[in-house]
Amino acid sequence: MTAPASSKDRAVSVPAVRGVRWSLASKQAAFGVAIIVPTLGILAIFRFLPMVQALYLSLTEYDLVHPPKFAGLANFASLLQDPLFLKSARVSLMYVLFSVVPVIPLSLGLAALFNRPLWLRNVLRSAVFMPVVMPAVVMAVVWTFMYQQDGVVNTILSWFGVDPVPWLRSSATSLWAVILIGIWRATPYYMVIFLAGLQAIPADYYDAAQMDGAGTWATFWHITLPLLRPTLLLVIVMNVIVAMKVFAVPLIMTGGGPADSTRVLPLFIYQTAFEFFDMGRAAAMSVFLFVAVMLFSFVQVRLFTRQDDNR
Amino acid sequence: MTNATGTVGPRAPAKRPAGSWRTLRKRQGSIVAFIVLAGVACVTLLPFYWMASSSLRTMETMFSLPIQWIPDPPNWKAYVLAWKAQDFSRYLLNSGFVAVAITLSNLLLCSLAGYSLTKFRYRGRGVMFLLILSTMMLPLEVTMVPLFLIIKKLEWANTYQGLIVPFLVDGFGVFLMRQYMLSIPNDIIDSARIDGASELRIFWMIVLPLCKPALVALAVFTFREAWDMYIWPLIIITKDSLRTLPLGISLFMSSYGTSWDQLMAIAVIGTLPMILLFFFLQRAFIQGIAATGLKE
Repeated sequence: MTAPASSKDRAVSVPAVRGVRWSLASKQAAFGVAIIVPTLGILAIFRFLPMVQALYLSLTEYDLVHPPKFAGLANFASLLQDPLFLKSARVSLMYVLFSVVPVIPLSLGLAALFNRPLWLRNVLRSAVFMPVVMPAVVMAVVWTFMYQQDGVVNTILSWFGVDPVPWLRSSATSLWAVILIGIWRATPYYMVIFLAGLQAIPADYYDAAQMDGAGTWATFWHITLPLLRPTLLLVIVMNVIVAMKVFAVPLIMTGGGPADSTRVLPLFIYQTAFEFFDMGRAAAMSVFLFVAVMLFSFVQVRLFTRQDDNR
Repeated sequence: MTNATGTVGPRAPAKRPAGSWRTLRKRQGSIVAFIVLAGVACVTLLPFYWMASSSLRTMETMFSLPIQWIPDPPNWKAYVLAWKAQDFSRYLLNSGFVAVAITLSNLLLCSLAGYSLTKFRYRGRGVMFLLILSTMMLPLEVTMVPLFLIIKKLEWANTYQGLIVPFLVDGFGVFLMRQYMLSIPNDIIDSARIDGASELRIFWMIVLPLCKPALVALAVFTFREAWDMYIWPLIIITKDSLRTLPLGISLFMSSYGTSWDQLMAIAVIGTLPMILLFFFLQRAFIQGIAATGLKE
């Protein structure tokens, strides 16, 4: 009975007798495993099993009534020729692109403004943070009201001489209306993360820069931004994943319309599965969504780490 | 992005004279920052103000011009009418129960898992951590169809356990607790062991109290997510007595679509718990979100 590889084990106290040491170490390890088992079990059943099943279902035809019928890649083939699916994928892509790109400079800029002495700093920060507090469904209801033809948004725009915009009623503007409130809600969220990142940068760097006479921009460009790169990467990845999942807001505000202009992929998956009961097809769409999420995270991480290598 | 990668180049010599000119510029910067942020605050607060004030308007003055910023006289009838139109007290209770249950179990399971991943050594630990982390990249929207089939097979559709059990633990929570527990010295745990404390007791009496800031942040973060949950209850709940508040609100919207006064009243009720939570636990609220930006 030899001791297992516990020489590295700093968590183990060291009693004199080897036999006792073995049993203590294994007892502790057993406890360590036991307390992580519930987590692993729940994640296995409710995260990993559904993922595997999604892959399987995507290869079948299944309407909840008849047993699943193997269909090979038929779902994928027909999706790629389905104009509704292609349109939905395009809408999702537009949503992700135009709700993520403005949020990054906006949230970083706000964080930079808050990361300095400021009159009423905490009050302002709480005020700017408020959109994060509003539940998504409430946000959809309130903004639907504000976007009405004679609603408050158009009234305020009219002060600046802008003609009333048919926000949710026209397929030309509906997606932009949804994107705008996505930005409204995401910006303060990522601002908080950027602010934490900014505050983690040691003040010495700024003092040194100031000694050297670097201006505000030079300091930001050469000190803040490079040191903030890990946070920046994380915010972009998170933001894209969150944007790819948007669901409640388009469902409640427009139901995907008018003329499919706001039917993002998650909404289309939901409708295919739970309104048309085409589970196999919905699962195939989920696989597309999954691949998009994975691909994007991967490419992002690669891009950013390669930049690090070059430095 | 290429221009950001350059190292700090040759520095420009200090051009501006130090002293009063610089402090003046600084003060000017503060004033500009204040004005910009105040303007942004107006944009972030307008929907809150508009929601609250419109809930007190009558339908006749709802869209009247010029804008009536303060409803005069305030009309509270919308709250009474909306509250009676659907079983909102039940929805509120359901949402509260589900969110509290999910939060409590996340606190327990995430800290247990985080403790296991930081303070114990066993084979496969690294793989387990990676597996748990990878669930953060797996949105519910990808797995909802098969997950619904699993819940149906368990006969958990239209039950509380169907709403709660799939979310008892979350990859992000485990990650958060693990990162925090890395900073707890092993010596504390070792000396408790020498004193003869049982493993469970060490966890409960020593480790958990040390994790209080992380636990509060995780609690607020999880509660917010659970309170916000929409797509999942929409899929598995059809019984009125099990509806959560977001479901109730969206149902109300589809059946009373133009009764804006009542809709805004319900919107206020749905937001109020989160606003209260935010004001009482502001630091934890912000820390929970800042923690999502933690890196390895």
